[in-house]
Amino acid sequence: MANITLEHYLLISSILFTLGVFAVLTRRNAITILMGIELMLNSCNINFIAFSRFIKPPTTVVAGEVSLAIEGQIMALFVIVLAAAEAAVFLAIILSIYREFNSISPNEVNTLKG
Amino acid sequence: MIVTFIFIILLCPLAAFAFFAISALAGRKSNRQDLISTFAMLIAFSCAFLLFVQVLGNSSIYKHAGASTHTIDWIQIDNVSLPMGFLFDSVTSIMLLVVTIVSSLVHIFSIGYMHGDPRYPRFFAYLSLFSFSMLFLVVADNLLGIYIGWELVGLCSYLLIGFWFEKDSAANACKKAFLTTRVGDVGMFIGMMMLFTKFHTFALFGDSGIFESINNLESSDLTWLSIAGILIFCGAIGKSAQFPLHTWLPDAMEGPTPVSALIHAATMVAAGVYLAARMFPILTDVSSLFIAYVGGITAIFAATIAIVRWDIKRVLAYSTVSQLGYMMLAIGASSYVAGLFHLTTHAFFKALLFLGSGSVIHALHVHHHDDHDDEHSDHPVERDGIPPEQDMRNMGGLRHKMPVTFWTMLIATLSISGVPFLFSGFWSKDEVLGATLERAMESGSTHYYILFFMALTAAGVTALYMFRLIFLTFMGQPQNQEMYAHAHESPKSMIIPLIILAALSFPIVNKWSFDKYVEQPKQTHNHLARKHVDQPVLYVAAGAADHNDSMSHTTHGGHSPAHSIAMGLSIFVAALGILLSALFYHWKTFSAETVANKFRGVHRILWNKYFVDEFYDGIVVRATVIGAKIFGGIDKYLVDGLVNLVAIIVNYIIAFLVGLFDSKIVDFLVNFVAKITWKFGGGVRRAQTGVIQNYLFVILTGVILLIIIFRLLV
Repeated sequence: MANITLEHYLLISSILFTLGVFAVLTRRNAITILMGIELMLNSCNINFIAFSRFIKPPTTVVAGEVSLAIEGQIMALFVIVLAAAEAAVFLAIILSIYREFNSISPNEVNTLKG
Repeated sequence: MIVTFIFIILLCPLAAFAFFAISALAGRKSNRQDLISTFAMLIAFSCAFLLFVQVLGNSSIYKHAGASTHTIDWIQIDNVSLPMGFLFDSVTSIMLLVVTIVSSLVHIFSIGYMHGDPRYPRFFAYLSLFSFSMLFLVVADNLLGIYIGWELVGLCSYLLIGFWFEKDSAANACKKAFLTTRVGDVGMFIGMMMLFTKFHTFALFGDSGIFESINNLESSDLTWLSIAGILIFCGAIGKSAQFPLHTWLPDAMEGPTPVSALIHAATMVAAGVYLAARMFPILTDVSSLFIAYVGGITAIFAATIAIVRWDIKRVLAYSTVSQLGYMMLAIGASSYVAGLFHLTTHAFFKALLFLGSGSVIHALHVHHHDDHDDEHSDHPVERDGIPPEQDMRNMGGLRHKMPVTFWTMLIATLSISGVPFLFSGFWSKDEVLGATLERAMESGSTHYYILFFMALTAAGVTALYMFRLIFLTFMGQPQNQEMYAHAHESPKSMIIPLIILAALSFPIVNKWSFDKYVEQPKQTHNHLARKHVDQPVLYVAAGAADHNDSMSHTTHGGHSPAHSIAMGLSIFVAALGILLSALFYHWKTFSAETVANKFRGVHRILWNKYFVDEFYDGIVVRATVIGAKIFGGIDKYLVDGLVNLVAIIVNYIIAFLVGLFDSKIVDFLVNFVAKITWKFGGGVRRAQTGVIQNYLFVILTGVILLIIIFRLLV
């Protein structure tokens, strides 16, 4: 069994991000677009954690003091919180849009058209 | 010191005029203008008198023409400089004295004569302006300055002739005077410019002056010099009312009588003589002869017209023209001294005659309006267009009513008629006649003999018409009882000037004293002629080349035979003239009407003044009017037609083309820009789908592109 390296994680992350973008650009349902956005956010989380794990050693000694290298993990936690908040706002917007247009398809909501 | 005095003399009358002008501009009436102007003239007179005394004390210095000049730079344009300055010699001082004396007396006279005129202050302001101009003309040391003064006196003459411009005759007379003299002035200006182009200066005297430069001319320039001299003399023909431009002066009598005395007898008309005398050194034989002929013809011509005039002022006007002709004749006969001498004596006695006639007119005029409704049989009527108070047919016997006027006018008449020894006119007239005869004898030229006899005849005729005036006005029985009844002696302010002028008509300045103070300048043309005496370039009569020197000999040496002969003849013709006049108009031995009827044709010619006015009316005026009409027609139909045609062309063709350009090219461009913008906008707006996913896609594509670009660049 081969070693799992950083590249593998990045590859998984890229695939997930691409899928998320694809979902955002193509879906005809606002909910699925939200799901695409969540995919993209989570692919970022994978990147954070992977970089945190592979690029920096878990513990380093700087000037005789031991410090834990967990900035990536903490970033990922922030992103999860952000995603939750974002989902709440997004769903609220979708509700408003539905009340206005009787639809949540982005094709129907085109009043920005020039 | 001289300069200061000259400045005072010039500035006093100018200040008096300025006072009037400023108060007029300020909208106020200068009520005491008469006193201001008179006082200014009296100051000027005092200064002129002091200068004259100065000249008397240093006669050897000032007798040379152009003895002293005071010049400043006036105008400097590139390398042409026009200096301006004062010229002072004995001639200047005499002219200053004459002008200021006559002007002062005329001012005083006018206080009485013009009293009650609605434009009384203005009259005095004009008199002041005239005095300034005349004095400036006299003291200017260059031709340009003389020309400036020359035109200014012309302007004043115009203003004063037309002083009563409500009368059509006065308005016409002032226009006539202005235009007629202008004809001569054009010639004068051309002459001045001829001299200027040759010598690059207007200055007369001094090392770089015209009179010095003439010495450097070649004898081939004599013709040129003659033409220049004659052209400059044209100005004098106009201003001094010489034949054929004399017609304005009799008409100028429409002005107030003091004006006639000052401007049209004593000073301005004499300016032409002054100019001719000043230009004396440049006169050649030809131009001298021209001047002599103009003067001689004018003298006899005007004198004969004067015989048949009924208007007292017209008689005097023709007399003035005739006497000016005498002065010109003297200059033309190369006798500078005689010309200026006659100018001086004439100024006094002719001013006196005019003021005396003014006194008569004043006496007869003041009252005849009061009894306008009076059905008196003798009610004065206007005959032949002559105002009744100027018509000698209404006068007669006035010596009882106006003794002072009578005696003073009689003195002037004796003087102008050439009654021997006691009166100044005799001496100066004799000087003119003697100079002409002397010239004739010396040059042997028949021209001067002819001129001498013309002048002699004119002297006899002068005595005839002047005594006719005296007899008709003052002697005999009153012809118009009503006017006679109201006639009265004039107020003191008018009589005193008459008495002073009468005193001046006695030979205070006689020939010998005049000779002592005025010296004849040399005429350089004789030296030029001598330079190349073998070349008969020009009429140079035998002995004429030496004429000037011998001339000055004889005039200084006293009486030559020519002078004795002239004196004898002139006494004879004067006596004859007076006798004839008495026979016709006093003793009535002969009837003037009978003679007039017998020689009806001659009388008609004289009465119509040789038809010169008719000639001018018929030829010059009508030609001008016809010409004006023709040119008016050309203007109206041809020029206007062309202009209208061009306008139509512009309207229909150019306007069309411009319209086409506007609609097709300008509008096209504007629409084109609009269309491009419209099309472009129409294309670009499709990108705005309103679908957020499209926008996101574009953003994504952009990000990817940016990444690729940066990747490639870095």
